[in-house]
Amino acid sequence: MTLLQLTDVTGGYTRKPVIKDLSFSIEKGELVGLIGLNGAGKSTTIKHIIGTLLPQRGEIRLNGVTLNENIDLYRSSFSYIPETPVLYDELTLKEHLELTAMAYGIDENTLKNRSQELLKEFRMEKRLNWFPSHFSKGMRQKVMIMCAFLVNPQLYIIDEPFVGLDPLGIQSLLDQVDEKKKEGASILMSTHILSTAEKHCDRIILLHEGQVRAQGTMDDLRKSFNMPNATLDDLYIAMTEETYNE
Amino acid sequence: MNNLQEVWSKRFNHYINEVQKYMRFVFTGHLALVLVFVIGAVGYQYSEWLKVVSDAFPGEWVVAAIVGLILAFSRPVTLLREPDQVYLLPLESKMSYFFNRALNWTFWSQVGLAVVVYIIGIPLLNTVTELSSTFIWLGLAVVVILKYLNVQIEFNYRYCNRGSNTFVDRIVRVVISILTVQAMLSSNFALAIIFVVLLIFYNSSLKRRVKVQPVPYEHFVKLEQNRMMGFYRFANYFTDVPHLRGSIRRRGWLNFVYNLIPYKKENAHNYLVFRTFIRTDDHFYLWVRLTFISGVIAIFVNIPIVIWVVAGALSFATTLQLKYALLSSSDFRMDRLYPIDSNLRKKAVQKVLRIFMVVQAFIVLICAIEQPLFFVPAIVVILISEITFIMSKDPSRE
Repeated sequence: MTLLQLTDVTGGYTRKPVIKDLSFSIEKGELVGLIGLNGAGKSTTIKHIIGTLLPQRGEIRLNGVTLNENIDLYRSSFSYIPETPVLYDELTLKEHLELTAMAYGIDENTLKNRSQELLKEFRMEKRLNWFPSHFSKGMRQKVMIMCAFLVNPQLYIIDEPFVGLDPLGIQSLLDQVDEKKKEGASILMSTHILSTAEKHCDRIILLHEGQVRAQGTMDDLRKSFNMPNATLDDLYIAMTEETYNE
Repeated sequence: MNNLQEVWSKRFNHYINEVQKYMRFVFTGHLALVLVFVIGAVGYQYSEWLKVVSDAFPGEWVVAAIVGLILAFSRPVTLLREPDQVYLLPLESKMSYFFNRALNWTFWSQVGLAVVVYIIGIPLLNTVTELSSTFIWLGLAVVVILKYLNVQIEFNYRYCNRGSNTFVDRIVRVVISILTVQAMLSSNFALAIIFVVLLIFYNSSLKRRVKVQPVPYEHFVKLEQNRMMGFYRFANYFTDVPHLRGSIRRRGWLNFVYNLIPYKKENAHNYLVFRTFIRTDDHFYLWVRLTFISGVIAIFVNIPIVIWVVAGALSFATTLQLKYALLSSSDFRMDRLYPIDSNLRKKAVQKVLRIFMVVQAFIVLICAIEQPLFFVPAIVVILISEITFIMSKDPSRE
């Protein structure tokens, strides 16, 4: 069943579009990797999906509704982990979790149980009453991740998740992602770490200059580039060289 | 050479623009009004005191001490920036041009204060000493010369000691500056000349050490950053300085306020806004400051109508500034994505302001308790605050 559906989405910050006629979908229980060069339109695509940018043309449906049709259903269907952590300087770690739980209508017992698990998984139990100014970049990222997983939505949107995380943090994140996937949630993840994407993603969307260059499983991609046995790195480089030669 | 000339003039123009931009807000702000009153009151007190001061009062020492202290604080304004440590490195040998301009500006921007303070002291000197007016004006010339030397020495000392132990140099200059001004004010011209020559020697010995050393960029850049940060923090009391993150304090003694917000979905914005207001120094101290001024006026002024007008004006200022501070923000925050009605944030801001304006009204009420109609200012505070909140535009919808 389709959870997220983008149809011919065109949009950007100004009238000059960054993404053009973008169409793809994400099914329930699927982990999809969004891959592309710097400036290919990954973050812009994500901003359109989370609704901070509105498409100039086309339509985005999440759980069957657009943002305008049912804003509450749309927004409670996903959680978002931005590339650079966005925290409230004035809230402690504990309060970040509490605020998120409150906003998504999670009851206090569930909050307690879920946050205990997450704090343990990401080794942040001892920092509950700290303010973000005392956190390293990786810890800030962990706060964002914990808030996102606390919500337990149907779709996780994760922008460049591995930057700044230590190896244990990366493993914890991947474990969490796998677990949620088993429970039926979907994940859209943009990244530059191609080996990890190749290993964990069910499907890959290759974005180039604001358009979908190719999408599908690794096998599909190999076929479309006519490169059997190629790794994602090889395909990625082939894609960029192809356009360079054009 | 051309290059550095351009660098300096660009820097300088940018700096002046920046200062002007923010000083406009400072001088139209509420604190400027208070300052005018304070200066007026102090001036009046001073002239009254001059009528009764005894001849034994050590006027020349007091003037010398104050002016000397001001003279010794001659922190160089270099306008250097962090990237200069990299980009200006090839121009090392030509930097003296840049620093000459910088020290010129330092001198002219700082000499005024010392001169003004000296001039304010002149009526005192005329009252308690028998100095001839020639010596008084010669003294002013010496103050200007001393300022020039202090600026040069402080810069050279910081340069060749890479910014360490600056207090040693400052103590030396404070003492010599005070003694020089005092010598002038005791009509001891020769002694003053000796002190000035001493400073000149001190300066040239430092200069020799400067010549063989590379520019201590790290120290000067840090000095400059601190200076600008201080300025921005000051300006931030009057207007919103972008990119200046207010510092955060827990203020645990106010934790009980959060109990007003039960745990439920509709209260998420209340949860956030209450903490933002109480823990952000800029927001919280704005409220404290304006409440304090309103209270002080209510205690010390005996004209009811003045109290009412001031209480109303300050209630208006508090509400308006805090509404803007809490509602306008161009940065992305996670609460933009929350599946809750975005109008709830405005309601949350209204709620926190209502609570703290009632507290302000209560404080004004207590302060005005001695007055007839003591309850009026409190009512004015609450009414004006409510009207201001409803009538002013919503910055989040711009």
